[in-house]
Amino acid sequence: MLITGIKSKPVYTPLSADIGGRYHLMLGMGVGAAPLLRVVAQMRTEAPSALANTRVLYVPPSGDAAQAHVAEFQNTGVAEVRTFGNAQALLAAFSALLTQALMGTRLYVAGPESFMGLGMKIALQFNLNKDEIRAEESGSLARRVHCVHCRAETEDVRTNVVQCVGCSRWLLVRDHYSRRLAAYMGVMADAEAPGELPPIQEVFA
Amino acid sequence: MSESQTIAVQVAAIEQVTPLIKHFTLAPLDGGNLPAFSGGSHIIVVMRGATRTFRNPYSLLSPPNRLEAYEIGVRRMEESRGGSHFLHDAVRVGTRLEIAHPVNLFPLDKIARKHVLIAGGIGITPFLAQLEDLHGGAVPYELHYSVRSPAHAAFLDRLRDREGERVRMYCDSAGEAIPFDALLSTQPLGTHVYVCGPEGLIRRVIDTAKASGWPGSHIHWEQFSVPPVGDAFDAFLAKSQRMVHVLPDQTLLEAIEAAGIDVPYLCRGGVCGFCHTRVTGLDGELIHNDHYLSDAEKSACKSIMPCVSRARGKSLVLDL
Ligand code: FES
Repeated sequence: MLITGIKSKPVYTPLSADIGGRYHLMLGMGVGAAPLLRVVAQMRTEAPSALANTRVLYVPPSGDAAQAHVAEFQNTGVAEVRTFGNAQALLAAFSALLTQALMGTRLYVAGPESFMGLGMKIALQFNLNKDEIRAEESGSLARRVHCVHCRAETEDVRTNVVQCVGCSRWLLVRDHYSRRLAAYMGVMADAEAPGELPPIQEVFA
Repeated sequence: MSESQTIAVQVAAIEQVTPLIKHFTLAPLDGGNLPAFSGGSHIIVVMRGATRTFRNPYSLLSPPNRLEAYEIGVRRMEESRGGSHFLHDAVRVGTRLEIAHPVNLFPLDKIARKHVLIAGGIGITPFLAQLEDLHGGAVPYELHYSVRSPAHAAFLDRLRDREGERVRMYCDSAGEAIPFDALLSTQPLGTHVYVCGPEGLIRRVIDTAKASGWPGSHIHWEQFSVPPVGDAFDAFLAKSQRMVHVLPDQTLLEAIEAAGIDVPYLCRGGVCGFCHTRVTGLDGELIHNDHYLSDAEKSACKSIMPCVSRARGKSLVLDL
């Protein structure tokens, strides 16, 4: 298979609090709430004063559980919890916050991989470095795929081969990841023998 | 780096800019252009005295796009082993010197959203070249320049004319001090801080930035250690089976070079790590003066940076 062994696939480690930071900004989506709550709990024991400088931006899962998650964040005593209906709205608010943010800010991101990628892409535009960002994959591994032929991005890809939303080519999804684009590269799958595709399987659940 | 790679230059101008600092212009002997460099680069100046050869690092302060000549600023060190005294006292317009190709160990971050430059005294020199790179660009920047007294503010006119309000000066003599806390706790995300000057200033900036939550990747500093004078000692070079004697005002690196053995170097100031040498035998102690080895490596006594560090005791054996 073409898609293994490529180093650019991001590797995420479990989240922990970086109490060397002065301000803490958390982005979460869906089950990403759990790792973020863990960080908050760690702060409460190790550096309770950090809670007053901690803000959470969160997209709750749809359904009844939503309110429970939000309430859980609110009960921790962090300075602010804001919820959003979808990732786009959260990321727009995140961008706006970064334009006001000061040096000393630490970013924590948890949620599906494609959500994290988009958050990191914005962070990169603000010159946040590796030692200012902590991220933990939590939830769907569905990928954003960047078509190397027409440059369109196809969202929420769960299969090894996908039809591009831009040019309709069949793309093989590679492990080659671009932080700048927040997407995996998709390369025409049937370039050599048009119409001959490898078996399509769900691989990024 | 070896002598074959040096460039022959001639002193084209000398200006005394403060009671302690002289400004030298070095033009290539064969005319033409010198190698290109970026702001923050330094060169090694090779000075052949009557009995000794000195090689000292100096930051380039001339505009990086002006390659007909390089400019350096040299402070006369009270406790010089000779390099700065040689430049101040023995060098005239027309004197020929050799220099090594520029190397940048103190570059500006290319994707920073803002640059805060902090200079103390002669530490202004790398920033003069960097300001040329920053001037007129889209990225905001500011320079904080701390000096003993107005008479010691080298290159201030040049800075004020060009940079105006972006330059703030602080004079010890007037009781002025850089407001480190206020400065470093209010910078927008994506700012990088750069500091060059005396050790105390560098420490203060690093400590204050860290306390304000700055991550290490946004803090940059440059300090060439001036190799301190010490007691004479001997070193045995195991591979070449040579014994070298290091004079009190000579560095270990200079003594090794005088014996005809080449050790790679870039900074000769204990920061780049190039001269790293393995210690294979020691009866005595090492006096580490570099900023390169970690504390653990220093206490392990398995390596030494011969450009600035020395030994004391019965014997020192090097893997050279
Ligand atoms: S030459 Fe750079 S550390 Fe010795």
